Amino acid sequence: MGSLLRNQKARNALLQAVFVGALGSLVIAGALIAQQNMAAQGITSGFDFLFKPTGWEVTFSLLPAKPTDPYWWYFLIGIINTLFLGAFGLVTATIVGTVVGLARTSSNDLARLLGRSYVDVFRNIPLILQVFFWNALITHLPPPREAHEAWGFALTSRGLYVPILNVHGLAFAGAMVALLAAIVLPIWLGRTARLGSPPEQRRPLQLAAAILALACAVLILFLGRLPDTALMNVPALRGLNLQGGLRVPPEFTALVVAIAIYGGSYIAEIVRGGFKAVGRGQVEAANSLGLTPWQVFSRVRLPLALRAMLPILANQYVWLMKATTLGIAVGFADFFMIVALTINHSGQTLEAIGILMAGFLIINLSLAALFNRINKAIALKGNQLRG
Amino acid sequence: MATLAQSPNPDIALRIEGMNKYFGNFHALRNIDLTVTRGEKIVVCGPSGSGKSTMIRCINRLEEHNSGRIVVLGTELNDDVGNIDEIRREVGMVFQHFNLFPHMSVLENCVLAPMLVRKLPRQQAEEMALRFLEKVRIPEQASKYPGQLSGGQQQRVAIARALCMQPQIMLFDEPTSALDPEMISEVLDVMVTLAADGMTMICVTHEMGFARRVADRVIFMDRGEIIEEAPPETFFTASRNERTRQFLSQILNH
Ligand SMILES: Nc1ncnc2c1ncn2[C@@H]1O[C@H](COP(=O)(O)OP(=O)(O)O)[C@@H](O)[C@H]1O
Ligand SMILES: [Mg+2]
Repeated sequence: MGSLLRNQKARNALLQAVFVGALGSLVIAGALIAQQNMAAQGITSGFDFLFKPTGWEVTFSLLPAKPTDPYWWYFLIGIINTLFLGAFGLVTATIVGTVVGLARTSSNDLARLLGRSYVDVFRNIPLILQVFFWNALITHLPPPREAHEAWGFALTSRGLYVPILNVHGLAFAGAMVALLAAIVLPIWLGRTARLGSPPEQRRPLQLAAAILALACAVLILFLGRLPDTALMNVPALRGLNLQGGLRVPPEFTALVVAIAIYGGSYIAEIVRGGFKAVGRGQVEAANSLGLTPWQVFSRVRLPLALRAMLPILANQYVWLMKATTLGIAVGFADFFMIVALTINHSGQTLEAIGILMAGFLIINLSLAALFNRINKAIALKGNQLRG
Repeated sequence: MATLAQSPNPDIALRIEGMNKYFGNFHALRNIDLTVTRGEKIVVCGPSGSGKSTMIRCINRLEEHNSGRIVVLGTELNDDVGNIDEIRREVGMVFQHFNLFPHMSVLENCVLAPMLVRKLPRQQAEEMALRFLEKVRIPEQASKYPGQLSGGQQQRVAIARALCMQPQIMLFDEPTSALDPEMISEVLDVMVTLAADGMTMICVTHEMGFARRVADRVIFMDRGEIIEEAPPETFFTASRNERTRQFLSQILNH
């Protein structure tokens, strides 16, 4: 026994067993106490409520929704809304962060000053205040009948109006998938070892794949066109309101803008750190070989900086994903808000919160797993300490 | 100076005239004059901080000189970006810490500049890269990554990478100082072969055996100045300069 305790592997296994055991008993004890409390209040615990109609409206949904739909459908709507908001938020925050971060590393004094001021200001104002600010700003814009319109876009107190294609929703989603394939397929074809030929000889194959995917996208859009309508659906003033186009509600716009600006200030620092981590020696070597500044950037600085910042960026993305729960502050029907409404209407507090936590856990663990895979795939090979 | 611009001597690879370099208020290089003819091998030595690196880094504009002239292969080094690019294409450099691109395989390291700068097709660039990797005696490592090689192997890859641009002048900044003792000779051997092929070389190094074997001239620098310039035998055995003798006794008796 004594020698077993001195064995490093045995000791680690034992420690883990003790930890898991303690955690397990804690969870079981909590569940038992909760069940007793709920029974005392006359609430039946369990997940049967998931299949009952909700009886209330949801304010924003990408899927068809009506009050007779069951709770599980509403939860799905909430998760999709959260993912939708998160996707827009993360992409825009990354764009803002990249621009500001590059400004902070530039050799231009003014760009550096502007970048620094940006980070100092927006990183130090709490996100919830920024959400309120943008929401207030948008809801105080002129109403639709006085809205300023440009290129079919209109920003009004009722939200942002954007022109859309007159196609079926499913067809649009399908076309988006095809467009994504047009980007991903050529990259995959250029990297996979499964094809026998060397990667350089796959140019025609990559080109063909891209063109095929693009053609698919156009075909899907064409087939999914709504009959007897113009191709573009542009918002236009009819009476007191704007008709046509797509209305992006003010709270969604406010959330995306706030996450883009706030998240962007953090990502800017990550981008700056990533570029600072690139060895001067590698940049000098690239310069001494006669590469142009753009080539030095795209072939040496950016790929090395990306490797340095990806792990921290993954953390930041998980963090921003959690920040989408601020939707409830301005009334955007994200996952959190739907769970909160569910608790109000059904009283199934613990079950609903359990589902909320499990949902976020799955979203964020998937995000982390995706980044882990990317990290592993592009990790520098061999021992880096030698220089 | 006027004569220099009017009749560029095709035998002259490099001419530095009255060059000065400051880092802020610090006067790092003082009135440097140096002429190197084609095929010549120059060894530069001197105490740490004497400006050796700064001098050779001025030759390909990794550092900007503040006054005086630098003419490389008939092209004057000034703010003209075209001139800088032209000179960098013809001048290869090997660094103390190798500075390979860690995210690229050895072969990718070697073909990058020929493809981007010389616009060679990949196949041709790879053939040439393999030729030079053979020359530095590691063709079998072509698909490995820098982090998977020993220091000596990395430095030989760095030499091959520079040679793939087919430069007319090679600059070496203490290429063996970061290496374990048993790896120094494999790098020096490659440099000796290169010298035998007639390459114009300017090497900052304290490897006195190499200097004796290869150098046409040894240049001794101290506190930003060129103190002495002599053929290796004279330099090592018959220097009359006090600072040179002091330096030599330090590096030979450690
Ligand atoms: N980028 C720099 N900024 C300020 N001082 C520098 C810089 N590079 C070098 N120096 C200074 O210039 C002097 C010469 O440096 P260097 O050329 O590296 O010497 P060596 O290569 O002979 O050891 C040193 O005193 C060093 O501190
Ligand atoms: Mg040095």
